Amino acid sequence: MSLLSRIRKDLLALPLVGRFLRWRYSRFLLQLPLFLVALLALYDGFLGRQLAPKNFATVSVWLHYRGFLVLAVAVLGNLFCAACPLMLVRGPTRWAKRYLPQFQWPRPLRNKYFVIVLTLFYLFAYEYWDLWASPWLTAWLILGYFGVAFLVDAFFPEGTFCKYVCPLGNFNFTLSTTSPAQIAAKDPAVCLTCEGKYCVNGRVETPAGPKTAREASPQEGTYYPGCETRLYVPQIQSNMDCTLCFNCLRACPYDNVALKPRFWGAEWIRARYRLDWVWLGVLLFFAGFMNAFAMVPAYYRLAEGLSRLLGTTNEGLLLITIYALWTGLGFLLVLYLSHLASRLAGFKETAMQAVRRWGVAFFPLAFAMWTGHYAFHFLTGWASIVPVTQQALIHLGLPLPEPDWTLAALVPENLLYPLQVVILYLGLTGATTTLFSRARGGRPLGAAFFFLMLFLLVALALWVLAQPMEMRGTLLLPKT
Amino acid sequence: MRRAFWLLLLGLVACAPKTGQPLDAKVRVIPNPPPVGKAEICIDVDPRSEFKEIKVVGDMTHPGMIPVVAEAHPAGPGLWRVDAFDFNMRGDWVLTITAVDKKGKKYQKEVRLTVP
Repeated sequence: MSLLSRIRKDLLALPLVGRFLRWRYSRFLLQLPLFLVALLALYDGFLGRQLAPKNFATVSVWLHYRGFLVLAVAVLGNLFCAACPLMLVRGPTRWAKRYLPQFQWPRPLRNKYFVIVLTLFYLFAYEYWDLWASPWLTAWLILGYFGVAFLVDAFFPEGTFCKYVCPLGNFNFTLSTTSPAQIAAKDPAVCLTCEGKYCVNGRVETPAGPKTAREASPQEGTYYPGCETRLYVPQIQSNMDCTLCFNCLRACPYDNVALKPRFWGAEWIRARYRLDWVWLGVLLFFAGFMNAFAMVPAYYRLAEGLSRLLGTTNEGLLLITIYALWTGLGFLLVLYLSHLASRLAGFKETAMQAVRRWGVAFFPLAFAMWTGHYAFHFLTGWASIVPVTQQALIHLGLPLPEPDWTLAALVPENLLYPLQVVILYLGLTGATTTLFSRARGGRPLGAAFFFLMLFLLVALALWVLAQPMEMRGTLLLPKT
Repeated sequence: MRRAFWLLLLGLVACAPKTGQPLDAKVRVIPNPPPVGKAEICIDVDPRSEFKEIKVVGDMTHPGMIPVVAEAHPAGPGLWRVDAFDFNMRGDWVLTITAVDKKGKKYQKEVRLTVP
C-alpha cells in the first residue's frame, strides 16, 4: 500500500508523526512550549506593564491562544487539549493522591450541564471584569486554572477536570466536532477479541506480556495510561471528550489505533449526540454571538436603554439580564422550534428528542461564529506577539533590541469582513447539510423550517460583524 | 532546589530594567471627549524642562490593535502639541506620553480616556 493511501486511512502513517506520538514523552514535549508560554504570561501579567495590548499575558491568551485554537481545530483537531499545560499538574497530583481522600465525581454532574453553568459564569466574568483588558486578572485566571485543575485532579479520578469541569476544554471539544480527523480503530474486529480494553484501562507492559492497570501495578513494567475521559476507541463516533492525548495509541498493544481523516463535521450527520452535548453546542453559538455583539455600538445602546428601563447602572445586573435574556430566549426558541420542526417532519418524538435531532445544526454555527470573531482579532493583531514577547523577555533581563510596536496586522482590514462572511456561510452550509440529513425518514419540511431560523440567526450575526467594531469601551458611558 | 528557584526569581526581578521616570505634565485633548477621528492633544510641561522630543502613543484596552503613534511638536514655552491625533475607533484608550530630555533620560505619563 502506498504511503498516500495509508495516510488517507491513518494520519499517523505520516513519516515521524506516528513514531513521535507513540513515544511515551511525546505529550510532555507538546505541553512544554505552552507551559513556558504560561510561565511567561504569569510573569508579565503580574509584573509587567498593566496595558493589555503591550502585555504578553493578554496578547498571548486573548489573541493568539484563541486564534491558533480555531485554526488548529479547522486544520486537524483538538491540538490545544493535546498540548494543554494544565495537565502537567498530573505529576504533583499523583503524589498528593497518596495522602488525600479520593472521591468519585457526583453522578448528577457527569454531563455537560455543570460545564454549561461554568461557561456562563466564565463569559460573565470575561465581560464584567474586562479580563481581556487586564494582564493582572489574566495572570490570575491562568493561575486559577492551574489551581482548580490541581484540586480536581487531586481528589477525583484523572480526566474528571477535562470532561466535567474545564470550560475551555469543553469549548475545544465542541468546536473539534468540526475537525477533519478522528481517533478510530484501524480494524474493529481486533477490538472485539481484545480482553484488556487497554485503550481505556491502560496497559502495563510486563515481561509476561501486556496487563491492564488493574491487573498489574505500574511498577511491574512500563506503564501506558489509558483514555482519561473513558472513551473506548472502537465506539468513538465523535471528537466530543477526546483530548487527542494519544494515550489510546500508546496503550494499545496491537497498534490498532488510527487518526482517521474525515470530511469536516462528518460526525454531525452520523453521530448520536447526547442532549447535554447539544445544549452545550447551542449555548456556544448564542454565547459566541453575544461575545461579538458586546463589541459593537448597538450593544451599548441596548445596555443604556436597559439601564434606563430598570433604573440601575449596576453593570453586573445589566450583564446578567442581557445574558439571561439572550441565552434564555435562545434555549426556549431552540426547544420550541425543534418540537415544531419534528411535527412538520412527521416525527413522533418528545421536545427533547427533537432538540437532539435538530440542535446538532448549531455545532457548525458555533464553530463559525467563534472562528469569525477570533479571526478578526487574530488577523488584526497577530504580529503583536513579537514586540510583547520581546518586551517581556527584556523585562526578564535579556538583552534584546527595542520592540517595534507597529507590527500588527496580517490581513488588510477590508478583507476581514468578507472572510467572516465566508466563514459564516460555510457554517450555515454545514448546518443545512446536518439538518437535511437528520430529517431522513421524515418530510424535509421540518428541516426547511429549522433552516429558516438558522438563516435568520446567521443574517443577524452578519449584521453584528458588519457593525463598526469597538475595542471594548465601557458599558455605560460616560463612566465617572 | 527551592532556594535556587527563589534566587533565580529574585535575580530575574532584580534584572528588570527600570521604566521611565514619571512625567509631570498636564494633558488636554481637544475636543474632550474626542470623537472618532482626529483630535488635538496639548501637553503642558514645566517651561524650564529641556525636552528634546515628546511622543504620544495611543493604545486601546483590547489587545491586538496597531497603536497610534504621533510626535508632538513644541508650540510655545512649556507647550507641546499633536495637531491631529487619530482616534480611529470607539472605546477605551490609553495614551502614553513619553518625553526624552537632552541627556536621553525618559519620562512617562499615562492618560486613560474614552472615545464615545
